[in-house]
Amino acid sequence: MKTFLFCVVVLLVILIGAFLYRVLQGPTIFDRLLGHNGISTKAIILLIVIGISFERVDMFIDISIGYALLNLVGALAVAKYLEQKGASIE
Amino acid sequence: MNMLSIIFIVAGLFFMIVAAIGVIRLPDVFSRSHAASLADSLGAFLMLVGIALHEGLGINMLKILVVLALLYILNPVIAHATIRAALRSGLKPWQKETS
Amino acid sequence: MALFVFWIMLSASFEWTHLGLGLIFSFAAAWLNSGHSPFVPKFRLWLRILLYLPWLFYKIIQSSLNLSKLILHPALPIAPHMISVESKLRHHAAVVLLGNSITLTPGTITAEVDRNNLIVHAMDKSDEIVIKQMESKIADIFKDEEPDL
Repeated sequence: MKTFLFCVVVLLVILIGAFLYRVLQGPTIFDRLLGHNGISTKAIILLIVIGISFERVDMFIDISIGYALLNLVGALAVAKYLEQKGASIE
Repeated sequence: MNMLSIIFIVAGLFFMIVAAIGVIRLPDVFSRSHAASLADSLGAFLMLVGIALHEGLGINMLKILVVLALLYILNPVIAHATIRAALRSGLKPWQKETS
Repeated sequence: MALFVFWIMLSASFEWTHLGLGLIFSFAAAWLNSGHSPFVPKFRLWLRILLYLPWLFYKIIQSSLNLSKLILHPALPIAPHMISVESKLRHHAAVVLLGNSITLTPGTITAEVDRNNLIVHAMDKSDEIVIKQMESKIADIFKDEEPDL
């Protein structure tokens, strides 16, 4: 089970790298926002998997709930700002 | 119980890999958001259910289900906000070339 | 009251200080937010929404298998287009539920909402049928509420 969880963590980090490629390379600013959203979803799952692997799930789940709420506020604020400003950046 | 949770987690990882391939491969923002929502809805659902089965009954399983419900409510909101911002700022969806 | 249950679930401890703090904070939050939202939850409505969820999961699994087949296909045979959906729903909550379900299903995403006209960006031609089924299901859920839109 330990090695399986380790493999899951490594695969999730590789997937975060794929989304990071989209964030760095994206043609428009909305691609970057989308990539950021995907990265934060995977980070929530990554936190819970790390918590199981350390056998301290009760602590890590609270952190991931807070992370999900913060992600909502941040992404929504950026999207509203871009909606008013337009995509004149790049 | 253990085998079942491993099966769920592997299925969720498969959908997440497909979503990452789609995010790199697809041509524009609108189609990429479909791939991202694939990862969010089905991949996260299968992985969190697998983790909850591994954890067993108890307060932690309840908390994992709270995280799942939170993801299911919040992710469509963020995707809709992003797409609406992209549409209102005058981005045209990609069409297949009619040749 | 529901907030207090939620606090107990999150803190997962039954000591006196935690319970007292949770009681104070939950009543403070409920008092601060009373009068903001006119949406009063009804029990039968929630039961019907709960019964609607497994069907939604079935549709999500079906359409995401379809979408993964499209993505993994070497020629990338996608045909994205915009659909304009004029729904007959007459409730704010129903329109919110419809938009949320459309965005949650992989392959379709809500791009613009104006009262009850939705503009949907879809990935494939076969997605319109799913939206029609979804709308009739939601109209079934909200059929004996008074319209407010």
